Amino acid sequence: MQGQATQIIHAYRQAPWRVQRQWIGAFLLAVVGVAMVAALYLDVTARAAVAGREIQEMRIQITTVQRENADLETKLADLTATAVMEKRAEDLGYRQVLPGELDYVAVPGFALPEPPILLAADDTAPAVQNQPVEYTQSLLEWFEDRVKLGGLR
Amino acid sequence: MMRQRYAVRSMIIAGGFVLAVLAVIVQIIRIQTSEQAKVFLSQGDRYAGEFQTFYPERGEIYDRNGHLLAGNRTVYEVGVSLSEMASPDSLANILSKYLGLTYDDVHKKLTDSPKSWEYVVIQDYVGVNTVDQLKLLVQQMQGADDNRLDGLAFKPHLERSYPENSLASNVLGFVTRDGRGYFGIEEKYNDLLAGNPVQVWVPRDPNKATEIPRVPNGTTLVLTINRDLQSNVESILDKALSDYGSPNGTIIVMNPRNGEILAMATTPRMDLNNYDNYFTLYDNGSQYNRSIGMSYEPGSVLKVLTMAAALDAGTVRPDTTFVDTGAIEVGGITIQNWNRDAWGPQDMVGCLQHSLNVCLAWVSSQMGTQSFYGYMERFGLGHPTGVDLSGEAAGRLKVPGDGDWYPVDLGTNAFGQGIAVTPLQMLMSASAIANDGKMVTPHVLYSMLRDGHQYNVPTQVAGSPISSNTAQTLNQMLVVSLEQESSQALLPGYSLAGKTGTAQIPTEYGYDPTHTNVSFVGWGPADDPQFMVYVWLETPSASIWSSETAAPVFAKVAEQTVILLNIPPDVVRGQLVTK
Repeated sequence: MQGQATQIIHAYRQAPWRVQRQWIGAFLLAVVGVAMVAALYLDVTARAAVAGREIQEMRIQITTVQRENADLETKLADLTATAVMEKRAEDLGYRQVLPGELDYVAVPGFALPEPPILLAADDTAPAVQNQPVEYTQSLLEWFEDRVKLGGLR
Repeated sequence: MMRQRYAVRSMIIAGGFVLAVLAVIVQIIRIQTSEQAKVFLSQGDRYAGEFQTFYPERGEIYDRNGHLLAGNRTVYEVGVSLSEMASPDSLANILSKYLGLTYDDVHKKLTDSPKSWEYVVIQDYVGVNTVDQLKLLVQQMQGADDNRLDGLAFKPHLERSYPENSLASNVLGFVTRDGRGYFGIEEKYNDLLAGNPVQVWVPRDPNKATEIPRVPNGTTLVLTINRDLQSNVESILDKALSDYGSPNGTIIVMNPRNGEILAMATTPRMDLNNYDNYFTLYDNGSQYNRSIGMSYEPGSVLKVLTMAAALDAGTVRPDTTFVDTGAIEVGGITIQNWNRDAWGPQDMVGCLQHSLNVCLAWVSSQMGTQSFYGYMERFGLGHPTGVDLSGEAAGRLKVPGDGDWYPVDLGTNAFGQGIAVTPLQMLMSASAIANDGKMVTPHVLYSMLRDGHQYNVPTQVAGSPISSNTAQTLNQMLVVSLEQESSQALLPGYSLAGKTGTAQIPTEYGYDPTHTNVSFVGWGPADDPQFMVYVWLETPSASIWSSETAAPVFAKVAEQTVILLNIPPDVVRGQLVTK
């Protein structure tokens, strides 16, 4: 009886379909592995491509905004140019003051204003320091990170 | 049997597939390694991206109160993408009409361009209004499914713009379309204003997009110029030229304490937005800013330097008496007064008040060549002032030992003949008298703004040719001489110091008997000088005398200056100080 059972188990282990299934299993495992890596690579690449396109668009926007700023500043200066302001003042009935018409009043603590610092904003947006690592790391580096962190999360 | 047949068939089909795959692989390898592959690869690389040069925005220029004097504005390059062009005839027709070109020229560009060209520029620096009209037209035609203007492209970029047109044009200079600054501040600080262009490889593949290195704008400059004062001074100068029949002139207003130039007006001025006029207005570069580019014999204004030198050397005192006989012989040549009269006994104030050539020639003779020319050197004559403007002339001070120096020059130089200075040189030298003996280097730049920081230009003392005591003594002498002369240079309520100068003009055949250059140097308030003014009117026809031409112009400039700089009359100022 026991010998019969051993024979069945042995026959089962040596069954050709079982060997085939092991091969198929190993092959499928390899395919799934490759597919996973390919999918990850595709995902990262796609995201990098989108980010790259956004960078290109933002670069164009920055240039456009800078140009518009320069335009507006010059336009404002055109509207407040000496000749324009003088004409506007004359049209409103003003004229230049004469020395005898001025009254000087002593105001304690008053000091003539010095030329102001004209630079309101810093144009030196520093190179992006806090760029997410996803933008720079390779797939292998990302994988290594994940392994160190204890798995894909 | 059946099973065996299937196995053979399967083997044949599998073998066929394997062979096909192998063939594909071989072909792939063959293509990759062929000679043509290198050509294809290089073509691929060529279109993978391009080198782009990023030009920084040119730095702006402001006056001391923050008014924009030079900025930038958008203009367009109008071109046509030849591969997208549908109708050269229509494009030529429309573009010639809007851009002021001839139909034939535009048509030729569109149809006769080399076949390898993908894009052709029709016109650059086209204004926003014109481009807006063209864009609207394109939009309307596209809306009506009309493709005749397809291919028309507009590429925006910046160009220099001067909101004040000709105001302070002699100080600012201008920028040509190649981006280079000429004259004035634009040339002197061209490198700072222009910034540094950056060339980078920009890939078309967004995967390879990298951060473009930051291209900082050119440095923004703040000038010491006061726009309102500059405008007023230019108006006064233009009126003076008209009133006195003078072809050209110069007025400079400077702070004697720190050398800041508050206004610098000369003629002719040009609209900086239309710099093509340069060649019609000027014969040579030195005429662009006469304040620094043209030297001339200043005449009697130089007497203040001679007197300063003599007082400082101890040769004379204010009360030293000189008996004027109307003539003096120096180096074998007789020198006479401006009216050829003898003025009798005079103290040094009288000599200045009546502008006596004979007296000053005697003073310089008493000093001797070594002392006199030593002082003139220390006053900076014959050397550029070092002002931060492009195109400064050095003037000329002949000294003993020079081939063209004669002993009589010691006498004539004392009253401003045989010596050449620029108006700014004269102003700088006289600043030693107004500034307690310290001569300041004139400058136009107040500060630079870069990377969020403001760098102020410090005051530079060019030397101390005379002592503080001498400066104060002469200052007082000039106040008294101006007041006693009942000069037209006086401004009620304010104590001013100054000196007129009427100079004959040297020609190849001696001095011109009919024309003069008239000048005036003065400052105020005399007890605490806050402004200095130099006036030079060339060959006025209404009067040859400075006292009747340059002096009243000085008074008008002083009047505007005290108003715009908030300088109260002496009495009020005294009350404010005591409070």
